[in-house]
Amino acid sequence: MNGIDTTTLGKPAVDTSRCLVELRNIRKAFGGVHAVDDVSLNLYPGEVVAVLGHNGAGKSTLMKMLAGAYPIDSGEVFLSGEKALIRSPSDAQNLGIESIYQTLALADNLDAVANLFLGRELLTRWRTLDDHRMDADARKVFQRLNKNFTNIRIPVRRLSGGQRQVVAISRAIYFNARILIMDEPTAALGPEETAMVGNLIHQLKAEGVGIFLISHDMHDVFALSDRLAVMKNGKRIGTYRTQDVTEDEVLGMIIAGKAPAGKEQTERPAR
Amino acid sequence: MNIDWQTLKRAQIDWRMVLMSAVLIVIALVFNILSEGIFLSPENLYNIAQQTAVVGILATVMVLIIVARHIDLSVGSVMGFVGVLIAFLIYTANWSWQAACLMGLAAAIAVSVYQGALTAFIGVPSFVVTLGGLMSFRGAAYLVADGKTQPLADPFFLKLGGGYNGGIGTTASWILAALLCLGLLLSMLNKRRAKKAYGVPTNPALVDLLLALIPMAIVIAFVATMNAYHIPNKDAPQGIPIPVLIWGAVALVISFLVHRTRFGRYIFAIGGNPDAAALVGIPVRRVTMLLFILLAVLITIAAIVAISRLNAGTNSLGNNLELLVIAATVIGGTALAGGSGTVIGSVLGALIMQCIDSGMLLLDVSIGTRYIIIGQVLIAAVVFDVAYRKWTGDTL
Repeated sequence: MNGIDTTTLGKPAVDTSRCLVELRNIRKAFGGVHAVDDVSLNLYPGEVVAVLGHNGAGKSTLMKMLAGAYPIDSGEVFLSGEKALIRSPSDAQNLGIESIYQTLALADNLDAVANLFLGRELLTRWRTLDDHRMDADARKVFQRLNKNFTNIRIPVRRLSGGQRQVVAISRAIYFNARILIMDEPTAALGPEETAMVGNLIHQLKAEGVGIFLISHDMHDVFALSDRLAVMKNGKRIGTYRTQDVTEDEVLGMIIAGKAPAGKEQTERPAR
Repeated sequence: MNIDWQTLKRAQIDWRMVLMSAVLIVIALVFNILSEGIFLSPENLYNIAQQTAVVGILATVMVLIIVARHIDLSVGSVMGFVGVLIAFLIYTANWSWQAACLMGLAAAIAVSVYQGALTAFIGVPSFVVTLGGLMSFRGAAYLVADGKTQPLADPFFLKLGGGYNGGIGTTASWILAALLCLGLLLSMLNKRRAKKAYGVPTNPALVDLLLALIPMAIVIAFVATMNAYHIPNKDAPQGIPIPVLIWGAVALVISFLVHRTRFGRYIFAIGGNPDAAALVGIPVRRVTMLLFILLAVLITIAAIVAISRLNAGTNSLGNNLELLVIAATVIGGTALAGGSGTVIGSVLGALIMQCIDSGMLLLDVSIGTRYIIIGQVLIAAVVFDVAYRKWTGDTL
């Protein structure tokens, strides 16, 4: 992941061996409704791709398939050029895909340490929970994200929105995500915490992590993303470099599903 | 002394447990005064301890079931079915007690796999599945031996139920107490060492020592009491009754599962937020199935203790037991909404209920009044639970 040529960011060469994630012709139907209909999307190392659309446009469903939370009906996922089989959240985690959900996916009754390691607890050689090692490791990660976060052994339901977000994000950091899916990461946060998330995204980009960012916040999208993909009714309307489009054009795509004329797409349309 | 409020706060003392212990002590003292010293006599305490064992054993695992947002209304019926089956195999079919117990375990697991699969894989609420089970397995308990009582006479087997020959004797009791105290001390030292090694802040040594001394004192007081009970026509005092020993062992094992294993952690995660548990890759269905199988093992143990205490298996074995078990669990601070509860709480809850019941029995309170009072105690416990959670800001 080192030595990324930053000049190619936002205008990646079509080189599948360097492409971090390649979603090809992904489909998903719930009952008779096509939640995701033949969507293809790429992600390159050190790149932030914003995925936009109305509620129900299919963006969360698409990302949940990549995260292993929903099975894929048809279509293929390639990671660094290799075909990947993602059948469960554990599969996705083992492939270096981490997700931060809008709902934060925290067990409210457990403390921050337990939540950080949930599903991937550190074990002693007797296969019991290694609480002290988890406690010590967790302190380091939380410190890195927020120096004032010390009440890590109380149930997370008693933490502030920002602290809960730290816990959710720390899962991605601790387990060295290569690919990070962030679903509305700043929706419940104050200005200071939003800035923290912004800084973190820059930091992770520099480390070569690829990020899918689902957001309704146009300010975030334009400040943080390199490219943006707009979805409507399960279909991808278009993928553009963020610097090539205006906010009005993006809103036009989200609301009317109308691709702006004369703008160059950075991805092949779905086959 | 430099133990201030902050230190106590950081020591993560479970104030709810402290309060419940205080309630238990007050109840015992009040009954002792009203009964003019009979309630706290070794004989009465010995009886209370072994009478609570069956409910106590089942309450430890009911905690986990309720924490995982399930319920089991069929424990009493399934225990009755398994108990009668074991007694029937020994008495009528002439099986050895070992084979009969294994068959009982197999039957309990079959029941649990059936009810667990309906809950975990098909998604039928466990309330409905086990409400059906409550009736069906009571019927099964009747069918096993055609409603006939199956007496038991195997002396080894009967020891498991406590009673006349059911104590382990004074020497064994003291050895056990010494081992337990040593274990408590070592685990405390071990915890301190591990925390230091990883640079995690520790409590002051004095606080840790005090926190370890309290359970030690309880163990020693308990053993001393059990060793003080001398049945007049026997050579030696009783010592710890075997059913209580089994209950203690079960509580230790379940506590270990809760605090030290992934299985226990996942049960709490599922209870706290089932969606999150699935999203982080916890195999929710498998954990639920395992939980039901653990329940089957404990139902079998409880069934063996129950028929040993009764010297027989009858089709009414475990009637209304589910109510007592759930009540003990809830009085012990387990939230019916799931996600929170402790094994030690269930032990205290079961003891509180049994103490109230036994105490009223000593005072010749009529059965109707006893039912009314125990029912209201349950409600008082839940009212307290709601108030306590509001006070601490836990709105689960």
